[in-house]
Amino acid sequence: MAKKPGVLVSAFFLVMGMSGIALGNPPNDGPGCGLGKLAWAETKVSKNNIAPQVMMATTNGTFGSQTFGISSGTSGCTNDGQVWASEKVNVFAAISFDNLAQEMAQGQGEHLTSLATLMGIPADQHPAFFAMTQEKYTTLVQAGEPSPKAVVQAIHDAMVDHPVLAQATTSK
Amino acid sequence: MLNILLIFLALLFLPVGLKAQELPSPYLEELIQQASTGKLHQDRYWHLLLHYRKDFLRGYTSEVDDPGFFLSPNGKTDPEAELQATLTYFFSDTLVGRSKQPAQCAFVARYHWLKEKLHFHESKLFPQPCERFDNWLKELNPASITFIFPSAYMDNPASMFGHSFLRVDREGQTAETRILAYTINYAAEVPPDAGIEFAYKGIFGWYKGFFTTIPYYMKVKEYRDIENRDIWEYRLNFSQEQNHQLLMHAWELGNAYFDYYFFKENCAYHILSLLEVADPDLHLTDQFHFSTIPADTIRLLIRHKGLVKEVSYRPARSTLLKRKRGALEKQEISFLPRLVNDPHQAEQSEFLQLPQKRQTFLLDLASDVLRYKGATDQDMAEDYKANNRSILVKRSQIKIPSAPFHVEPFSLSPEHGHESLRVGEGVGWRNQEIFEEISVRAAYHDLLDPDPGYTQDAQIVLADLRLRHYHRRNQFRVERFTFANVLSLAPIDSLFISPSWKINLGMNTVKTSSCDLCSNGHANAGAGGAVETQVFQREVFFLFGELDANVSDAYDEHHRVGGGVSGGVMATITNNWKWLVSAGYMGYFLGDRSDDIPISVGQRWTLAKNLAFRTTFTHHDRDHEVLAVLHGYF
Repeated sequence: MAKKPGVLVSAFFLVMGMSGIALGNPPNDGPGCGLGKLAWAETKVSKNNIAPQVMMATTNGTFGSQTFGISSGTSGCTNDGQVWASEKVNVFAAISFDNLAQEMAQGQGEHLTSLATLMGIPADQHPAFFAMTQEKYTTLVQAGEPSPKAVVQAIHDAMVDHPVLAQATTSK
Repeated sequence: MLNILLIFLALLFLPVGLKAQELPSPYLEELIQQASTGKLHQDRYWHLLLHYRKDFLRGYTSEVDDPGFFLSPNGKTDPEAELQATLTYFFSDTLVGRSKQPAQCAFVARYHWLKEKLHFHESKLFPQPCERFDNWLKELNPASITFIFPSAYMDNPASMFGHSFLRVDREGQTAETRILAYTINYAAEVPPDAGIEFAYKGIFGWYKGFFTTIPYYMKVKEYRDIENRDIWEYRLNFSQEQNHQLLMHAWELGNAYFDYYFFKENCAYHILSLLEVADPDLHLTDQFHFSTIPADTIRLLIRHKGLVKEVSYRPARSTLLKRKRGALEKQEISFLPRLVNDPHQAEQSEFLQLPQKRQTFLLDLASDVLRYKGATDQDMAEDYKANNRSILVKRSQIKIPSAPFHVEPFSLSPEHGHESLRVGEGVGWRNQEIFEEISVRAAYHDLLDPDPGYTQDAQIVLADLRLRHYHRRNQFRVERFTFANVLSLAPIDSLFISPSWKINLGMNTVKTSSCDLCSNGHANAGAGGAVETQVFQREVFFLFGELDANVSDAYDEHHRVGGGVSGGVMATITNNWKWLVSAGYMGYFLGDRSDDIPISVGQRWTLAKNLAFRTTFTHHDRDHEVLAVLHGYF
């Protein structure tokens, strides 16, 4: 929605008609997070650079191509197209940062529930988790502004001091 | 010496890649024999796994275009050779395919199926551990498969018909954690700097299409948050065994690419082919001959009784905004723009006097508005972001969770829509002469077609042919052929400001002072604005500035080019009765210098989901026509 394609450009594209074309940045061997692709065989997953890369992809613009770009050509994927287990929470927090911030302030929501699930917090402790993130909203989001990865760390730290949630962090 | 020569010869005829110590065992011979006797290479399931289609010569050709997908050099066109080569490679640990795994693991669905059909003694095949596949499947942790349809997106020509992909729902997943599931998505890979060649390359198969497994939260963000498209989710009623078959084959497709054809072999087509692998009794892809429109595939799935277990709806952010705004009480409405422009308004006593629940509702809505504006207005994005942060800080200080808000879609789900192929039969009267007309339209929906199931205010007409017989002169003629007629009305209000636009290319029949019925090629484009009212049920008023070009013997110098304005109203009176009225002025300054005051009045009654009746009156300079036509949709 950032920019409408001009009417005449649309005219040319119109005949394309059908859906499913995605603009992406093609590596040699098909899109990233592809099924069974070996494009990342040599990719080193650096703990430090995933979140910034992913963020770059999402904040750069608002066209679908950028979102698609998240998954192509950057690290964070296994050879077989899945998100590295160790980076799951960080990748999710990076992509969903705006939604997470909103839902933390609102004390509920599917992104927040999903984050709690990824962090291994049992379902019966979710209300306590939501209340905690709402309570500490300002601190947590400020921590997360420079890097969404930091918000995950900040949430983790906040849980350690929490009477109920502390258990979920130590049990991991 | 002779022995050595014989071994040398034997090695020559071994399939490429087999090592000497893996001389084919007698067991392989036995399996090949058994497969040949059972005619397994003619089995529908083998054809589904290899994507074989009957070709013109009554042979078979696979739709897969990646040579690495085939184990026989002739595999693309020879199902039997491919089956024998597959069996042969099952006796080897040679790494094959794009994914570089032993054949048993790279082609795990073939292995599974052949094992079942031929009752393998697995120990005689040197079973390979397929850790990568096992880990992949474990990570997917599949419980069910859901067919996902993000609705049409008029502002991106490639997405005008919507998109479709599958979601692999996890074991133990709840409505709230669905976004964590992986998807199986098929899309063409287009270089980011693709220009105008995008169009023909996309149509004629110059791009490669690949399958990807992108987490659903990324897709939701793309469609719901960025492109403002409603998403429909259809949970499929597959058994666990069928889910596994589908996923095993999806894994195999990591070894494959297909040439991408926009109209037929597109996302919707290949997603259907995966469903056929899950349940070979489903005949889905062979229902589509020229084009595969995602919404049509949904109607097809729904027609298979029991296939769709559950339909759910995920509103676009723009839909959510409109519905929430509509739910505001009268005295609350003025708070919204104030909060959006100045978050400190939330500290005013006037606001604080509202019940807590209404305060949270208003703050949440203000945050949604600010996020929408931040995503659509790049220049001011930072300001909107800053205001959103302030609003959310205020919101977090009210220590209650937001109440769930149920969002009704503006248009029903696609299975409620008419089919997209339209056939019409009509009679009319043109300049004191009676005519009969038959018409066929390939796709898809115009503003007067029955509304349910289609994106509001969006028209896409492709390949619409009308044939007429004029009585008095006893003349048959191609009255009109519309190549493409696309129109998007975007009602403007305080929140949503985008242009309306239209484009129309084709030929029609004109009457001028110099020519009675003359063929005329035309190209027309316009841009403008629209507003919405709700006097009857819903009315959209529109105004366009237009450019228009004509090529016809009816005109001096055989052409005319000009511009003008047009305006009108589209009015939904009842669910079944709709009007479309427009009038304009066009002046032509190149070629035949002339002008025209086109007027058109049309109304439609929906008689059934796939049957409608419409009447139209059109007027041009010296040309008047009335037409009554019955439309059936197939």
